[in-house]
Amino acid sequence: MFPEDLSARLLKSIGVGVCLAEAGTRRILYANPTFLGWFPDAASGTDLCEAVGGLDPVRLETDRPFELRTKVKRRTLVIETQLRKAEHDGRPLLVIECQNVSRLRETEAMIDSYAAMVDRRTRDLEREKTHVEKLLLNIMPRSVYEEYTTFGSVAPRLFEPVSVLMLDFVGFTEMAAAADPTVTVGELNDIFTAFDRIGELCGCERIKTIGDCYMAVAGLPHPHPDHALAAARCAVKMMRYLDRRNTTHQHQWRARIGIASGSVVGSVVGIQKYVYDVFGPAVNRAARLQQISDPMEITICGSLMGELIDTFDISPPRTEDLRGFGEVSVATLSERRPAASAIAS
Amino acid sequence: MTCSTASLPQGSLFTRYGGISGLRSVIMMFYDAVLDSEVIGHFFDDVDMGRLIDHQTRFFAMLMGGPADFSNDRLARAHAHLDLTHAHFDEVRRLLAETLDAAGFAPADRDIVMAEVEARRSVIVRS
Repeated sequence: MFPEDLSARLLKSIGVGVCLAEAGTRRILYANPTFLGWFPDAASGTDLCEAVGGLDPVRLETDRPFELRTKVKRRTLVIETQLRKAEHDGRPLLVIECQNVSRLRETEAMIDSYAAMVDRRTRDLEREKTHVEKLLLNIMPRSVYEEYTTFGSVAPRLFEPVSVLMLDFVGFTEMAAAADPTVTVGELNDIFTAFDRIGELCGCERIKTIGDCYMAVAGLPHPHPDHALAAARCAVKMMRYLDRRNTTHQHQWRARIGIASGSVVGSVVGIQKYVYDVFGPAVNRAARLQQISDPMEITICGSLMGELIDTFDISPPRTEDLRGFGEVSVATLSERRPAASAIAS
Repeated sequence: MTCSTASLPQGSLFTRYGGISGLRSVIMMFYDAVLDSEVIGHFFDDVDMGRLIDHQTRFFAMLMGGPADFSNDRLARAHAHLDLTHAHFDEVRRLLAETLDAAGFAPADRDIVMAEVEARRSVIVRS
Protein backbone atom coordinates (compact mmCIF):
# COMPACT_ATOMS: atom_id res chain seq x y z
CA MET A 1 0.00 0.00 0.00
CA PHE A 2 1.12 3.53 -0.85
CA PRO A 3 1.01 5.82 2.21
CA GLU A 4 -1.41 8.71 1.61
CA ASP A 5 0.97 11.40 2.86
CA LEU A 6 3.66 10.08 0.52
CA SER A 7 1.33 10.57 -2.47
CA ALA A 8 0.68 14.13 -1.38
CA ARG A 9 4.39 14.80 -0.88
CA LEU A 10 5.17 13.29 -4.29
CA LEU A 11 2.59 15.50 -5.97
CA LYS A 12 4.17 18.51 -4.33
CA SER A 13 7.73 17.68 -5.31
CA ILE A 14 7.54 16.29 -8.86
CA GLY A 15 8.45 18.39 -11.90
CA VAL A 16 5.17 17.50 -13.60
CA GLY A 17 2.33 20.00 -13.15
CA VAL A 18 -0.89 18.34 -11.94
CA CYS A 19 -4.30 19.92 -11.53
CA LEU A 20 -7.69 18.42 -10.64
CA ALA A 21 -10.94 20.12 -11.61
CA GLU A 22 -14.66 19.32 -11.59
CA ALA A 23 -15.65 18.22 -15.08
CA GLY A 24 -18.95 20.12 -15.20
CA THR A 25 -18.18 23.40 -13.45
CA ARG A 26 -14.46 23.44 -14.42
CA ARG A 27 -13.81 24.52 -10.81
CA ILE A 28 -10.25 23.77 -9.72
CA LEU A 29 -10.06 21.39 -6.77
CA TYR A 30 -6.31 21.05 -6.50
CA ALA A 31 -3.14 22.23 -8.27
CA ASN A 32 0.33 21.09 -7.25
CA PRO A 33 3.15 23.66 -6.73
CA THR A 34 4.70 23.00 -10.14
CA PHE A 35 1.37 23.72 -11.86
CA LEU A 36 0.91 26.86 -9.74
CA GLY A 37 4.44 27.97 -10.67
CA TRP A 38 3.44 27.96 -14.32
CA PHE A 39 -0.16 29.12 -13.86
CA PRO A 40 -0.23 31.25 -10.65
CA ASP A 41 -3.95 32.04 -10.99
CA ALA A 42 -4.95 28.38 -10.64
CA ALA A 43 -6.07 28.64 -7.01
CA SER A 44 -8.67 26.22 -5.67
CA GLY A 45 -12.19 27.22 -6.59
CA THR A 46 -11.31 29.26 -9.67
CA ASP A 47 -12.45 28.42 -13.20
CA LEU A 48 -9.84 26.25 -14.90
CA CYS A 49 -10.15 27.99 -18.29
CA GLU A 50 -9.89 31.44 -16.73
CA ALA A 51 -6.88 30.47 -14.62
CA VAL A 52 -4.94 28.81 -17.43
CA GLY A 53 -4.34 31.14 -20.38
CA GLY A 54 -4.95 29.54 -23.73
CA LEU A 55 -7.03 26.70 -22.34
CA ASP A 56 -10.16 26.99 -24.41
CA PRO A 57 -13.27 25.08 -23.12
CA VAL A 58 -13.32 23.20 -26.44
CA ARG A 59 -9.92 21.79 -25.60
CA LEU A 60 -11.32 20.19 -22.48
CA GLU A 61 -13.06 17.69 -24.75
CA THR A 62 -9.89 16.52 -26.46
CA ASP A 63 -7.87 13.57 -25.29
CA ARG A 64 -4.84 14.42 -27.41
CA PRO A 65 -1.95 16.33 -25.85
CA PHE A 66 -1.59 20.00 -26.81
CA GLU A 67 0.78 22.83 -25.98
CA LEU A 68 0.11 25.89 -23.84
CA ARG A 69 2.37 28.90 -23.54
CA THR A 70 2.88 30.83 -20.36
CA LYS A 71 5.38 33.46 -19.34
CA VAL A 72 7.38 33.02 -16.15
CA LYS A 73 9.45 36.12 -15.54
CA ARG A 74 10.83 36.81 -19.03
CA ARG A 75 10.86 33.25 -20.23
CA THR A 76 8.08 31.94 -22.40
CA LEU A 77 7.47 28.37 -21.34
CA VAL A 78 5.97 25.75 -23.61
CA ILE A 79 3.83 23.39 -21.54
CA GLU A 80 2.69 20.12 -23.05
CA THR A 81 -0.73 19.40 -21.59
CA GLN A 82 -2.73 16.18 -21.42
CA LEU A 83 -6.32 16.03 -20.12
CA ARG A 84 -7.80 12.86 -18.69
CA LYS A 85 -11.30 12.19 -17.44
CA ALA A 86 -11.60 10.47 -14.06
CA GLU A 87 -14.19 9.84 -11.35
CA HIS A 88 -13.95 10.13 -7.59
CA ASP A 89 -16.81 9.25 -5.26
CA GLY A 90 -19.14 9.38 -8.25
CA ARG A 91 -18.02 12.91 -9.23
CA PRO A 92 -16.64 13.34 -12.76
CA LEU A 93 -13.21 14.95 -12.63
CA LEU A 94 -10.66 16.37 -15.05
CA VAL A 95 -7.03 15.52 -14.43
CA ILE A 96 -4.68 17.98 -16.12
CA GLU A 97 -1.11 16.78 -16.46
CA CYS A 98 1.54 19.24 -17.71
CA GLN A 99 5.18 18.85 -18.75
CA ASN A 100 7.61 21.67 -19.43
CA VAL A 101 8.96 21.04 -22.95
CA SER A 102 10.49 24.51 -23.35
CA ARG A 103 14.07 23.25 -23.62
CA LEU A 104 13.05 20.82 -26.33
CA ARG A 105 11.30 23.57 -28.30
CA GLU A 106 14.23 25.95 -27.75
CA THR A 107 16.62 23.32 -29.07
CA GLU A 108 14.38 22.76 -32.07
CA ALA A 109 14.35 26.51 -32.70
CA MET A 110 18.16 26.49 -32.51
CA ILE A 111 18.43 23.63 -35.00
CA ASP A 112 15.99 25.44 -37.34
CA SER A 113 18.07 28.59 -37.06
CA TYR A 114 21.27 26.70 -37.75
CA ALA A 115 19.73 24.80 -40.67
CA ALA A 116 18.62 28.12 -42.21
CA MET A 117 22.17 29.48 -41.77
CA VAL A 118 23.68 26.40 -43.39
CA ASP A 119 21.19 26.56 -46.26
CA ARG A 120 22.09 30.20 -46.86
CA ARG A 121 25.81 29.40 -46.69
CA THR A 122 25.34 26.46 -49.09
CA ARG A 123 23.55 28.69 -51.58
CA ASP A 124 26.34 31.27 -51.26
CA LEU A 125 28.96 28.57 -51.84
CA GLU A 126 27.09 27.29 -54.88
CA ARG A 127 27.02 30.79 -56.31
CA GLU A 128 30.70 31.22 -55.52
CA LYS A 129 31.53 27.88 -57.12
CA THR A 130 29.71 28.85 -60.31
CA HIS A 131 31.55 32.15 -60.32
CA VAL A 132 34.94 30.47 -59.83
CA GLU A 133 34.14 27.90 -62.50
CA LYS A 134 33.27 30.69 -64.91
CA LEU A 135 36.53 32.48 -64.15
CA LEU A 136 38.62 29.33 -64.50
CA LEU A 137 36.92 28.44 -67.78
CA ASN A 138 38.07 31.83 -69.02
CA ILE A 139 41.68 30.87 -68.49
CA MET A 140 41.66 27.19 -69.38
CA PRO A 141 39.73 24.80 -71.65
CA ARG A 142 36.89 22.86 -70.02
CA SER A 143 38.67 19.50 -70.26
CA VAL A 144 41.72 21.00 -68.50
CA TYR A 145 39.43 22.55 -65.86
CA GLU A 146 37.81 19.16 -65.27
CA GLU A 147 41.21 17.52 -64.89
CA TYR A 148 42.21 20.27 -62.46
CA THR A 149 39.08 19.96 -60.29
CA THR A 150 39.20 16.13 -60.30
CA PHE A 151 42.88 15.59 -59.57
CA GLY A 152 43.95 18.96 -58.14
CA SER A 153 46.65 19.29 -60.76
CA VAL A 154 47.08 19.41 -64.51
CA ALA A 155 49.76 17.38 -66.28
CA PRO A 156 51.52 19.11 -69.19
CA ARG A 157 50.24 17.65 -72.44
CA LEU A 158 51.62 17.66 -75.96
CA PHE A 159 49.15 18.66 -78.68
CA GLU A 160 50.23 17.79 -82.17
CA PRO A 161 49.60 19.24 -84.61
CA VAL A 162 47.75 22.48 -83.94
CA SER A 163 47.52 25.92 -85.56
CA VAL A 164 48.31 29.01 -83.54
CA LEU A 165 46.70 32.36 -84.34
CA MET A 166 48.44 35.44 -83.01
CA LEU A 167 46.83 38.87 -83.36
CA ASP A 168 47.69 42.34 -82.21
CA PHE A 169 46.56 45.85 -83.06
CA VAL A 170 48.50 48.49 -84.92
CA GLY A 171 49.06 51.65 -82.92
CA PHE A 172 47.23 50.47 -79.81
CA THR A 173 49.64 52.21 -77.43
CA GLU A 174 49.23 55.53 -79.25
CA MET A 175 45.46 55.11 -79.34
CA ALA A 176 45.33 54.40 -75.61
CA ALA A 177 47.47 57.47 -74.92
CA ALA A 178 45.52 59.78 -77.24
CA ALA A 179 41.99 58.85 -76.18
CA ASP A 180 40.44 58.19 -72.77
CA PRO A 181 42.15 54.89 -71.79
CA THR A 182 38.98 53.56 -70.17
CA VAL A 183 37.11 53.99 -73.47
CA THR A 184 39.92 52.32 -75.39
CA VAL A 185 40.07 49.38 -73.02
CA GLY A 186 36.26 49.15 -73.08
CA GLU A 187 36.35 48.89 -76.87
CA LEU A 188 39.17 46.33 -76.69
CA ASN A 189 37.00 44.28 -74.37
CA ASP A 190 34.10 44.40 -76.87
CA ILE A 191 36.39 43.32 -79.68
CA PHE A 192 37.96 40.46 -77.75
CA THR A 193 34.51 39.30 -76.70
CA ALA A 194 33.51 39.22 -80.38
CA PHE A 195 36.74 37.33 -81.18
CA ASP A 196 35.86 34.76 -78.51
CA ARG A 197 32.52 34.16 -80.22
CA ILE A 198 34.17 33.90 -83.63
CA GLY A 199 36.72 31.47 -82.20
CA GLU A 200 33.96 29.38 -80.71
CA LEU A 201 32.18 29.22 -84.08
CA CYS A 202 35.35 28.30 -85.95
CA GLY A 203 36.76 25.76 -83.49
CA CYS A 204 39.51 27.96 -82.03
CA GLU A 205 40.20 28.15 -78.31
CA ARG A 206 41.34 31.46 -76.92
CA ILE A 207 44.41 30.78 -74.79
CA LYS A 208 45.26 34.24 -73.54
CA THR A 209 45.41 37.93 -74.17
CA ILE A 210 48.33 40.14 -73.22
CA GLY A 211 47.42 43.78 -73.53
CA ASP A 212 46.17 44.14 -77.11
CA CYS A 213 47.60 40.77 -78.17
CA TYR A 214 45.14 37.90 -78.66
CA MET A 215 46.22 34.29 -79.01
CA ALA A 216 44.00 31.38 -80.03
CA VAL A 217 44.73 27.78 -81.00
CA ALA A 218 42.84 25.37 -83.25
CA GLY A 219 43.26 21.66 -82.49
CA LEU A 220 43.40 21.99 -78.71
CA PRO A 221 42.31 20.48 -76.36
CA HIS A 222 40.58 18.14 -78.83
CA PRO A 223 42.44 17.18 -82.01
CA HIS A 224 41.06 18.89 -85.12
CA PRO A 225 42.05 17.42 -88.51
CA ASP A 226 41.41 20.77 -90.22
CA HIS A 227 43.10 22.93 -87.59
CA ALA A 228 44.83 25.14 -90.18
CA LEU A 229 41.53 25.73 -91.98
CA ALA A 230 39.83 26.53 -88.65
CA ALA A 231 42.51 29.07 -87.70
CA ALA A 232 42.42 30.68 -91.14
CA ARG A 233 38.59 30.92 -91.09
CA CYS A 234 38.81 32.46 -87.64
CA ALA A 235 41.41 35.01 -88.81
CA VAL A 236 39.39 36.02 -91.87
CA LYS A 237 36.21 36.47 -89.80
CA MET A 238 38.10 38.57 -87.25
CA MET A 239 39.35 40.85 -90.01
CA ARG A 240 35.86 41.06 -91.52
CA TYR A 241 34.44 41.95 -88.12
CA LEU A 242 37.01 44.76 -87.69
CA ASP A 243 36.37 46.08 -91.20
CA ARG A 244 32.65 46.36 -90.50
CA ARG A 245 33.16 47.80 -87.06
CA ASN A 246 35.51 50.48 -88.38
CA THR A 247 32.84 51.80 -90.76
CA THR A 248 30.59 52.76 -87.84
CA HIS A 249 33.05 53.66 -85.06
CA GLN A 250 35.34 56.59 -84.52
CA HIS A 251 38.34 54.56 -83.40
CA GLN A 252 39.86 52.52 -86.20
CA TRP A 253 41.08 49.15 -85.00
CA ARG A 254 43.56 47.58 -87.43
CA ALA A 255 45.00 44.18 -86.65
CA ARG A 256 47.93 42.08 -87.82
CA ILE A 257 47.61 38.31 -87.70
CA GLY A 258 50.14 35.49 -87.94
CA ILE A 259 49.22 31.80 -88.29
CA ALA A 260 51.65 28.92 -87.84
CA SER A 261 51.23 25.19 -87.33
CA GLY A 262 53.20 22.71 -85.29
CA SER A 263 53.19 21.03 -81.91
CA VAL A 264 52.63 22.80 -78.60
CA VAL A 265 52.66 21.77 -74.96
CA GLY A 266 49.68 22.96 -72.93
CA SER A 267 49.85 23.26 -69.15
CA VAL A 268 48.72 25.18 -66.12
CA VAL A 269 51.59 27.36 -65.01
CA GLY A 270 51.97 28.71 -61.50
CA ILE A 271 50.55 27.62 -58.16
CA GLN A 272 49.00 30.61 -56.42
CA LYS A 273 48.46 32.69 -59.56
CA TYR A 274 48.04 30.06 -62.19
CA VAL A 275 47.25 30.38 -65.83
CA TYR A 276 46.82 27.95 -68.67
CA ASP A 277 49.36 28.52 -71.41
CA VAL A 278 50.83 26.80 -74.44
CA PHE A 279 54.47 26.61 -75.45
CA GLY A 280 56.30 25.53 -78.57
CA PRO A 281 57.89 26.71 -81.80
CA ALA A 282 54.48 27.21 -83.44
CA VAL A 283 53.63 29.86 -80.85
CA ASN A 284 56.85 31.78 -81.49
CA ARG A 285 56.55 31.42 -85.27
CA ALA A 286 52.97 32.75 -85.23
CA ALA A 287 54.18 35.71 -83.19
CA ARG A 288 56.97 36.48 -85.71
CA LEU A 289 54.52 36.20 -88.63
CA GLN A 290 52.16 38.59 -86.90
CA GLN A 291 55.02 41.06 -86.36
CA ILE A 292 55.99 41.16 -90.04
CA SER A 293 52.38 41.59 -91.18
CA ASP A 294 51.07 44.88 -92.51
CA PRO A 295 47.95 46.38 -90.92
CA MET A 296 44.93 44.17 -91.68
CA GLU A 297 47.16 41.48 -93.19
CA ILE A 298 47.08 37.78 -92.30
CA THR A 299 50.45 36.10 -92.77
CA ILE A 300 50.79 32.33 -92.83
CA CYS A 301 53.65 29.85 -93.05
CA GLY A 302 54.34 28.78 -96.60
CA SER A 303 53.86 25.15 -95.48
CA LEU A 304 50.14 25.81 -94.94
CA MET A 305 49.46 26.94 -98.48
CA GLY A 306 48.56 23.47 -99.74
CA GLU A 307 45.83 23.04 -97.13
CA LEU A 308 44.32 26.50 -97.58
CA ILE A 309 44.67 27.31 -101.26
CA ASP A 310 41.29 25.78 -102.15
CA THR A 311 39.41 27.94 -99.67
CA PHE A 312 41.24 31.28 -99.49
CA ASP A 313 43.09 33.68 -101.73
CA ILE A 314 46.79 33.26 -101.04
CA SER A 315 49.55 35.46 -102.41
CA PRO A 316 52.61 33.90 -104.07
CA PRO A 317 55.04 32.75 -101.37
CA ARG A 318 57.91 35.02 -100.39
CA THR A 319 60.91 34.50 -98.14
CA GLU A 320 61.24 36.42 -94.89
CA ASP A 321 63.97 36.36 -92.27
CA LEU A 322 62.19 35.57 -88.99
CA ARG A 323 64.07 36.14 -85.76
CA GLY A 324 65.03 32.77 -84.31
CA PHE A 325 63.88 30.85 -87.41
CA GLY A 326 66.03 32.26 -90.21
CA GLU A 327 64.73 32.34 -93.76
CA VAL A 328 61.14 31.14 -93.89
CA SER A 329 58.64 30.90 -96.72
CA VAL A 330 55.53 32.94 -95.93
CA ALA A 331 52.39 34.09 -97.75
CA THR A 332 49.50 36.49 -97.28
CA LEU A 333 46.06 34.97 -96.80
CA SER A 334 42.81 36.77 -97.51
CA GLU A 335 39.13 36.08 -97.94
CA ARG A 336 38.38 34.59 -101.34
CA ARG A 337 36.86 37.22 -103.60
CA PRO A 338 34.00 36.00 -105.82
CA ALA A 339 35.36 35.03 -109.22
CA ALA A 340 34.66 37.47 -112.11
CA SER A 341 32.61 34.82 -113.88
CA ALA A 342 30.50 34.32 -110.76
CA ILE A 343 29.87 38.07 -110.49
CA ALA A 344 28.90 38.26 -114.19
CA SER A 345 26.46 35.42 -113.84
CA MET B 1 54.85 22.23 -64.26
CA THR B 2 51.82 21.12 -62.35
CA CYS B 3 49.42 23.18 -60.32
CA SER B 4 48.13 21.88 -56.98
CA THR B 5 45.28 23.05 -54.80
CA ALA B 6 46.33 25.01 -51.71
CA SER B 7 45.83 23.32 -48.32
CA LEU B 8 42.64 24.21 -46.47
CA PRO B 9 42.85 26.74 -43.64
CA GLN B 10 42.65 25.47 -40.06
CA GLY B 11 39.14 24.85 -38.74
CA SER B 12 37.24 27.71 -37.13
CA LEU B 13 36.47 27.81 -33.40
CA PHE B 14 32.91 26.88 -34.32
CA THR B 15 34.15 23.66 -35.92
CA ARG B 16 36.76 22.93 -33.26
CA TYR B 17 34.15 23.11 -30.50
CA GLY B 18 31.94 20.56 -32.23
CA GLY B 19 29.71 22.72 -34.43
CA ILE B 20 26.11 23.15 -33.45
CA SER B 21 25.95 19.88 -31.47
CA GLY B 22 28.99 20.80 -29.41
CA LEU B 23 27.89 24.38 -28.84
CA ARG B 24 24.21 23.72 -28.21
CA SER B 25 24.51 23.68 -24.44
CA VAL B 26 26.78 26.75 -24.45
CA ILE B 27 24.25 28.74 -26.47
CA MET B 28 21.49 27.65 -24.07
CA MET B 29 23.55 28.67 -21.05
CA PHE B 30 24.07 32.10 -22.56
CA TYR B 31 20.38 32.34 -23.47
CA ASP B 32 19.46 31.66 -19.83
CA ALA B 33 22.05 34.11 -18.53
CA VAL B 34 20.85 36.90 -20.81
CA LEU B 35 17.19 36.40 -19.85
CA ASP B 36 18.04 36.37 -16.15
CA SER B 37 20.20 39.49 -16.34
CA GLU B 38 18.88 42.51 -14.47
CA VAL B 39 20.82 44.80 -16.81
CA ILE B 40 19.84 43.56 -20.25
CA GLY B 41 17.09 40.97 -19.67
CA HIS B 42 14.33 43.55 -20.10
CA PHE B 43 15.28 44.02 -23.75
CA PHE B 44 13.88 40.56 -24.36
CA ASP B 45 10.61 40.92 -22.43
CA ASP B 46 8.51 40.98 -25.57
CA VAL B 47 10.76 39.01 -27.87
CA ASP B 48 9.43 35.72 -29.17
CA MET B 49 11.40 32.69 -27.94
CA GLY B 50 12.12 31.43 -31.49
CA ARG B 51 13.46 34.82 -32.52
CA LEU B 52 15.65 35.11 -29.45
CA ILE B 53 17.10 31.63 -29.93
CA ASP B 54 17.70 32.42 -33.60
CA HIS B 55 19.47 35.60 -32.56
CA GLN B 56 21.70 33.79 -30.04
CA THR B 57 22.56 30.97 -32.45
CA ARG B 58 23.61 33.41 -35.15
CA PHE B 59 25.49 35.48 -32.57
CA PHE B 60 27.66 32.48 -31.62
CA ALA B 61 28.11 31.38 -35.22
CA MET B 62 29.23 34.90 -36.14
CA LEU B 63 31.73 35.16 -33.27
CA MET B 64 33.21 31.70 -33.73
CA GLY B 65 33.52 31.51 -37.51
CA GLY B 66 30.35 29.47 -38.07
CA PRO B 67 28.08 29.77 -41.09
CA ALA B 68 26.88 33.30 -40.26
CA ASP B 69 28.45 36.58 -41.12
CA PHE B 70 26.87 39.97 -40.61
CA SER B 71 28.14 43.24 -41.93
CA ASN B 72 28.65 46.07 -39.47
CA ASP B 73 25.89 48.00 -41.23
CA ARG B 74 23.45 45.19 -40.62
CA LEU B 75 24.45 44.86 -36.96
CA ALA B 76 24.10 48.61 -36.49
CA ARG B 77 20.62 48.62 -38.06
CA ALA B 78 19.47 45.64 -35.96
CA HIS B 79 20.51 47.31 -32.69
CA ALA B 80 19.78 50.95 -33.51
CA HIS B 81 16.30 51.05 -31.94
CA LEU B 82 17.56 49.67 -28.60
CA ASP B 83 19.69 52.69 -27.77
CA LEU B 84 22.34 50.51 -26.11
CA THR B 85 24.96 51.91 -23.73
CA HIS B 86 28.46 50.78 -22.83
CA ALA B 87 27.02 49.35 -19.59
CA HIS B 88 24.72 47.10 -21.62
CA PHE B 89 27.59 46.04 -23.82
CA ASP B 90 29.82 45.33 -20.82
CA GLU B 91 27.08 43.16 -19.35
CA VAL B 92 26.93 41.07 -22.54
CA ARG B 93 30.71 40.70 -22.38
CA ARG B 94 30.58 39.65 -18.73
CA LEU B 95 27.85 37.07 -19.30
CA LEU B 96 29.58 35.69 -22.35
CA ALA B 97 32.93 35.37 -20.57
CA GLU B 98 31.25 33.57 -17.66
CA THR B 99 29.41 31.25 -20.03
CA LEU B 100 32.55 30.37 -21.98
CA ASP B 101 34.50 29.74 -18.78
CA ALA B 102 31.73 27.55 -17.37
CA ALA B 103 31.61 25.64 -20.67
CA GLY B 104 35.33 24.87 -20.40
CA PHE B 105 36.65 27.01 -23.23
CA ALA B 106 40.45 27.29 -23.34
CA PRO B 107 41.46 30.79 -22.16
CA ALA B 108 43.07 31.60 -25.53
CA ASP B 109 39.91 30.61 -27.39
CA ARG B 110 37.75 32.57 -24.97
CA ASP B 111 39.93 35.62 -25.60
CA ILE B 112 39.46 35.24 -29.36
CA VAL B 113 35.67 35.22 -28.94
CA MET B 114 35.80 38.18 -26.56
CA ALA B 115 37.95 40.12 -29.01
CA GLU B 116 35.38 39.42 -31.73
CA VAL B 117 32.66 40.86 -29.50
CA GLU B 118 34.74 43.88 -28.56
CA ALA B 119 35.45 44.59 -32.22
CA ARG B 120 31.74 45.29 -32.66
CA ARG B 121 31.31 47.63 -29.69
CA SER B 122 31.44 50.83 -31.72
CA VAL B 123 28.87 49.43 -34.14
CA ILE B 124 26.36 48.43 -31.48
CA VAL B 125 26.76 51.14 -28.83
CA ARG B 126 25.58 54.50 -30.11
CA SER B 127 27.15 57.10 -27.91
